Amino acid sequence: MSANGVKSLASRRAFLLQLAPKTERRIEGAILDDSHLRGHRLRDGQMRGGLREPRKAPLVIVGGGIAGLCAGWRLLQKGFRDFVILEMEKQAGGNSRWGENEVSAYPWAAHYLPVPNRGSKLVRELCTELGLLYEGEFEERHLCHSPQERLFLHGRWQEGLEPEVGLQKADREQFQRFAGLMQEQAASGQYTVPWEPGAKASALDRMSMDDWLREKGFDSPYLRWYVEYGCRDDYGSLAKDTSAWAGVHYFAAREHEDRGPLTWPEGNGWIVKQLLKKLAPHVVAGAMVTQVAIGARGVRVLTETNDWESKGVIWAAPSYLLRYVMEGAPDTSGIIYSPWITANLTLDRMPRQAGTEFAWDNVIYDSPALGYVVATHQSLRTRIDESVWTWYYPLAAVAPAEGRKQLLARDWAWWREFILNDIGKAHRDIRQCVRRIDLMRFGHAMARPAPGWMFSPARAALAKWGGRMVLANSDLSGLSIFEEAQYRGVGAAERILRVV
Amino acid sequence: MAVLLLISVFLIAACGLVYELLAGTLASYLLGDSVLQFSTVIGSYLFAMGIGSFLSKYVGRGLVTRFILIELMVGLVGGLSSTILFLAFAYTEGFRFLLYALVILIGTLVGLEIPLMMRILQDRFEFRDLVAQVLTFDYLGALGASLIFPLWLVPQLGLVRGALFFGLVNAAVALWTTHLFRDRVGALTRLRVLCFAVMGVLGIGMLYANTVLDLADSALYADEVILARNTRYQRIVLTKWKDDLRLFLNSHLQFSSRDEHRYHEALVHPGLAAVAGARRALVLGGGDGLAVREMLKYPGLESITLVDLDAGMTELFATHPLLRGINKGSLTAPKVKVINADAFVWLEGHDGVYDFIVIDFPDPTNFSLGKLYTTAFYRLLKHHLSEGGLAVAQSTSPLFARQSFWCVAETMKAAGLQVFPYHAYVPSFGEWGFIMASKHGYEPPASLPSGLRFLTVSMVPDLFRFPADMGPVEAQPNRLNDQILVRYYEREWREIAR
Repeated sequence: MSANGVKSLASRRAFLLQLAPKTERRIEGAILDDSHLRGHRLRDGQMRGGLREPRKAPLVIVGGGIAGLCAGWRLLQKGFRDFVILEMEKQAGGNSRWGENEVSAYPWAAHYLPVPNRGSKLVRELCTELGLLYEGEFEERHLCHSPQERLFLHGRWQEGLEPEVGLQKADREQFQRFAGLMQEQAASGQYTVPWEPGAKASALDRMSMDDWLREKGFDSPYLRWYVEYGCRDDYGSLAKDTSAWAGVHYFAAREHEDRGPLTWPEGNGWIVKQLLKKLAPHVVAGAMVTQVAIGARGVRVLTETNDWESKGVIWAAPSYLLRYVMEGAPDTSGIIYSPWITANLTLDRMPRQAGTEFAWDNVIYDSPALGYVVATHQSLRTRIDESVWTWYYPLAAVAPAEGRKQLLARDWAWWREFILNDIGKAHRDIRQCVRRIDLMRFGHAMARPAPGWMFSPARAALAKWGGRMVLANSDLSGLSIFEEAQYRGVGAAERILRVV
Repeated sequence: MAVLLLISVFLIAACGLVYELLAGTLASYLLGDSVLQFSTVIGSYLFAMGIGSFLSKYVGRGLVTRFILIELMVGLVGGLSSTILFLAFAYTEGFRFLLYALVILIGTLVGLEIPLMMRILQDRFEFRDLVAQVLTFDYLGALGASLIFPLWLVPQLGLVRGALFFGLVNAAVALWTTHLFRDRVGALTRLRVLCFAVMGVLGIGMLYANTVLDLADSALYADEVILARNTRYQRIVLTKWKDDLRLFLNSHLQFSSRDEHRYHEALVHPGLAAVAGARRALVLGGGDGLAVREMLKYPGLESITLVDLDAGMTELFATHPLLRGINKGSLTAPKVKVINADAFVWLEGHDGVYDFIVIDFPDPTNFSLGKLYTTAFYRLLKHHLSEGGLAVAQSTSPLFARQSFWCVAETMKAAGLQVFPYHAYVPSFGEWGFIMASKHGYEPPASLPSGLRFLTVSMVPDLFRFPADMGPVEAQPNRLNDQILVRYYEREWREIAR
């Protein structure tokens, strides 16, 4: 009898579900990246053969991400114009790549630039040149509009990412103590952006952020989530896999004078577009470097179709690729890369919600993903109907190699369900709003500041490595943010100019 | 068959609880004081169930037929209960009476169900099993209903459709029972026709639930609703009482025809009359055409461009006879050009320069509207203002939202404009504030157009004097990346509402 009852209840439930508003609309979309295929052929040594057209360029920059473009930016400033930037993808930008559709432009990865501190001279110089910074003030339209961030916690949205709803007194005290400690750390002056110029070797780097929290007696689940979120967001790693020094850097390195950050519909793609205004003639897109040979008087750089003869090379592509293209490559095995996947969802309408407005960054507490960013948020319209949301997910819970396997194994439909279920926790009607989901997988999205790596001799040696070829990727810094990429790119440009 | 009947118990118990919860919720929504409403509704409902149980002893022969009829009655009355209550609230004074009458009626009928069901089942179980089984399913149904109600019924179906849906469940149980007892019930066809009839009524109710809600909407407004229209952006409601027409946008009073002349004369004339030789004018917002009506009193103006987001609104005010009566057909005047666009985006995409600009946006109640009150917006505005021109913005009430008002002034200043705040009394709004902005100073006008009902030349300078309780207070400028105005506004109006 009870079995019958249960059965009847189950069929009843199905009946009720059928009466709910129509949910199963057709959602289009695809996985858009394919460079891992070429990357794997490179890894397996299958791209060495074939005829190549000889070309000449005094200086070759490999990689058209922020590091490569900023290297070019500095070269042009110095009046050096004879260089090419070889970009493997169809479009320059690297982790600042962007897309555009009928609704909006949208980012594929990096989507903002924190308001730079007074001490971050290089970033401020670029901001001034791009018209973002004028007479000491940042242009308001490029700063993130209100409301900036919100968190879905205990079934409702709250303003800001720091959990506030449902905290006990002890939780609040821990947040206060944490903020106090971060202020102390910040006051030491050693947490600068970029980090290397200000940093002093620290015991903190040898422990994980998780250990540090435990040592300091932080056990509030809300605080731990908050710190964990920071690590996943900036480094793609859990607190237990992140250097405590880097973890503290995330919280202690920003002055937060102006309400920011700087952001655009296409994310940091906007900065790429501005840089390309001057650099576009130098960029050769769709050119994957298959071999590099360093000689006494020059460097040969082979792509699938060209054989570049140059006096010097800036390697601004991810450093781990070196071992597949050259003999005697420097040892990059210490760099751990976090795998990520991002999705862009095109929406016919925003989900319904009462009493709260969509923020730019919308985070769901206790989700393995990082939430979604609204690309139309910077629009000047008072009324947004259609929109594009960028959803971010670092595969931090498993080892990076396992994460990369998962990226390759799971198909689009699997991710569609995963993403809609994740966002569905906060927006029940999300399936009725989305018309398209496109995915981009990043097997080696960013270098992660694993405990002990940032201050290791191996990393320092890698950063200084080179002669006719120098390295410039942000992975040399151990953390992948715009400012590090710019710092490495500009530094590499200045070093190579002494050679070429 | 016993199992199937127990499932019926589960369903009718769920239905019974749903009606009780619906009545309590509706009463709380419409009357407030949820503790009182829920206590009295639950109390009367349980009491009525007692009456039903008592009455069950008078049901003698034809148990099953009676049970089916009672199911149908519960389904019909319970299913229509929300509809009846909504309409009663909208159109009668008797909401409370009807509420408790319905609660007692439904309670009594539901009170009959379980005793009858137990008697129907009495031959199939031992007495102690019977009581255990029936009550178990009864309480299980109650649990089911109490979970379904907040999690699914209210959010997905709403109150009107939710009640109708559970009415259908009752009717379905009735129909099902005719099937189970097809051998024992007489007049089977007649009973089944009755079942289908009840289901038909409830089904039609499901289809027309929205109309019911629209009808009930009128309950929100004190006066007779003579027009209600949903545009893409807002709900426009026009009410009339004697000669007073009132316009509500999303339930916010926009104007009352009795005193809108005060608002619109104060909005337009202190500025426009002071711009010598004004030729081109721009209105941002103001889709009702009332500011334009005032501006048409200046023959020197060659063109007036009105930019309003909502085509539904401007069309309505250009064509509806009553509304044309109020704005004197201003929106179809030859000088006037109406553009439906988002004002910020439109300004960004055009380079026209104007001698007089009216900014008549809704109050900054949220961050989306707040964008229209930012330094970025006013900087853009400045590019569209001629050297000798004036711009004026409605800027909420300096009395009720004092810091918000002075925040708008501060924001315009931060955008590089000179500001001249003033205010006027509009009875249906209270003290209302405006901010005049220019590039090079402001002098009150030496004359005004004839035929004004509120303003006189001599009183214009007085508008710029503020009593002590409305005077300047410190406020930060409102920026896109830090919309402090929305926070001021929310806080100040919340304090008023308290």
